[in-house]
Amino acid sequence: MNKILLVIQREYLTRVRKKSFWILTLIVPILIVTIYAIPIYLATNSLEETHVGVVDETGLYTDFCSNDNVIYHYMNSFDTALVGRSDTVDVMLYIPRPLSGTVPTETFVYYSKDAPSPSVKSDMDKQCQDMLRNNILLDVYHIDRNDYEQLKNTSVKMHVQDLNTGQSDFSEMKMIIGLVLSILIYMAIFMFGSQVMRGVMEEKTNRIVEVLVSSLKPFQLMMGKVVGVALVGLTQFTLWIVLSGVILTGFTMANADTFDRARQQEQVEMLKSQGVSVEQLAQQMPDTDMQTEMVQGLLHINFGAIIVAFLIFFVLGYLLYSTLFAAVGSITETDTDNSQFTLPLSLPLLLVIIMIPSLAEAPNGSLAMWLSMIPFTSPVAMMLRVPYGVPIWELALSIAILMATILLSVWVAAKIYRTGILLYGKKITYKELWKWLKFKG
Amino acid sequence: MELLVAEHVEKNYSGYRALDDISIAASEGRILGLLGPNGAGKTTLIRIINLITAPDQGQVFFAGEPLKTKHIAQIGYLPEERGLYKKMKVGEQAMYLARLKGLSKTDAERRLRQWFERFEIMGWWNKKVEELSKGMQQKVQFIVTVLHEPRLLIFDEPFSGFDPINANLLKEEILRLKEKGATVIFSTHNMASVEEICDDIVLINKSHAVLSGEVGEIKQRYRKNIYDVRCRNLAPETAFGNGIQVISQQTKGDIDYLQFRIDNTLSPNDLLRSLVDRADVMSFQEVLPSMNEIFIETVTENNMAQATERKGGTQ
Repeated sequence: MNKILLVIQREYLTRVRKKSFWILTLIVPILIVTIYAIPIYLATNSLEETHVGVVDETGLYTDFCSNDNVIYHYMNSFDTALVGRSDTVDVMLYIPRPLSGTVPTETFVYYSKDAPSPSVKSDMDKQCQDMLRNNILLDVYHIDRNDYEQLKNTSVKMHVQDLNTGQSDFSEMKMIIGLVLSILIYMAIFMFGSQVMRGVMEEKTNRIVEVLVSSLKPFQLMMGKVVGVALVGLTQFTLWIVLSGVILTGFTMANADTFDRARQQEQVEMLKSQGVSVEQLAQQMPDTDMQTEMVQGLLHINFGAIIVAFLIFFVLGYLLYSTLFAAVGSITETDTDNSQFTLPLSLPLLLVIIMIPSLAEAPNGSLAMWLSMIPFTSPVAMMLRVPYGVPIWELALSIAILMATILLSVWVAAKIYRTGILLYGKKITYKELWKWLKFKG
Repeated sequence: MELLVAEHVEKNYSGYRALDDISIAASEGRILGLLGPNGAGKTTLIRIINLITAPDQGQVFFAGEPLKTKHIAQIGYLPEERGLYKKMKVGEQAMYLARLKGLSKTDAERRLRQWFERFEIMGWWNKKVEELSKGMQQKVQFIVTVLHEPRLLIFDEPFSGFDPINANLLKEEILRLKEKGATVIFSTHNMASVEEICDDIVLINKSHAVLSGEVGEIKQRYRKNIYDVRCRNLAPETAFGNGIQVISQQTKGDIDYLQFRIDNTLSPNDLLRSLVDRADVMSFQEVLPSMNEIFIETVTENNMAQATERKGGTQ
């Protein structure tokens, strides 16, 4: 037992001391925060100013409104020489008199240095459309402009609510989180599983294994490596969670108003579920937009439960795959040799990744249910489902099946590993492996 | 007293028999040479002694007890295919391997420092293994093998990869360990080193032990009654009498070099007597076969015998 601890210690320390471990440890939280921050950043920070010169020959487009990013200047004459100079405009919007018909629907945009950004283009386009419609409405249909505004701004907002909990469902947010989690666990299983495989191959090609097996049992060596690398993985996740937590907390405080709005919205919905009248609500209801809703969704997800589930399924999925990867490492000496064994091993998980779209469509459907029970697919499939909430008995059953399979995979791997590590220069076939498994003692 | 005894050991791998009814005994405080051509089964036998694999038949005893895991701490094994973790530091790695053998942290460090100072390699402690040459790595491996002061040492081709100076250093260390009471099993193809180091040998060929015994005794057993003689004033065209045959004759200056083979019925004294009458004898020496010759002769004979046996079997 003491020897296994020594092996675990070595495997752990040599990996944690590597530079690549720390680089990865820093990169992932930065990535997470970036993904989290982008919508908020886009909403709060303005872009660079663009000055647009408008030459309107029709007299219909008279109401261009400047905003923070796009500033409109009416110009008297069409002169492209003015475009792109530092003291004039960046872009020129030219609306000529129509050649035929009565409605002027064509505009021309000229630039000389930088092409107008998509947001500038869409602003120009939107304002033109509005003015055109307003004028047509006024001139042709004689509809009041305010009526039209109201009509145009009316939209339907759907509130989907769970009758048991009184909570909104935020299924889009859950889908995104499930997607991220399942891809993350998939990558983690393969990343750390292949670390085990590489470690075994290193020991074999180095021939240090000959020295080692005279001191301890191959099983101790294999399990020491598997556990050591697992601890590296858990350390990495812990650091990721802590670092992301710290950065996100700082970030939340720096952008307190956005989160406040989300919380306010949350309270309103709570009131609503308690039967507060619609009139009262209308007064309290602040402006909601897409981005506040997303933040609100984030506040809603039970991250604690998700993290626990993630760690459990990572450890189990990792144990299942890493032991098998260890066996593959023991019977191969080069990367090209092992692909014939790793490919079939990685197929089940890959299959789940491919099926994610249909699984997300029905996270509690029978396909998702089966995939989250089959041990070779359950870690990934289950992570996709966890944000939506999975019944405890299903989680327990899935974990139990996974554990039973791990016992089997450890047994199989130990048998192959024991023979494989001391065999050089021989190409191993599946038939041979089968023989080893049947071989007693 | 025998420290390690293997009795009637048999080991089968899928398709072939690696060891067939092999018995060896390593006497305490002596060096046993385990010889044999490639693929004879030496490494398999060594792996069985190290409990890396289990025999299908037969038993192994260590100091009179059936060999068990607890004895592993008393065995030091330097495999033929040996390596180290390339990215690990020398000292750290040596500590790791020493502790796997059951040494405590303080013991391991104290002994390692002693050995590193003996070999004058203290400066390597914090170097990575990949910075060392192959010979340097071998030194580290040797230290790790003997560090826990095992009663039984097993060296599989220990000299491969060593330059002559370091090979000599290693040889002296092995002999020094023997002086201190260690028992050594020494597997090699290098027959010269066998004559220098080994007290006893076992020759394995095609899964069978074909020859075993004390080195001097085996050489006597294989003697061919050949004698080298240096003499002066040998009369030309001399006849030496019945049963005495001149194998070669050479003259350099006024000295004649002759090699004789005599019949089993004759003694060296008979040869000497007939020589004294015919020349002035300056030196007279029996020629014993080298281990190399014995090795080749035994293996070839054994292979031929097996071939005829097989032929006989099919007819």
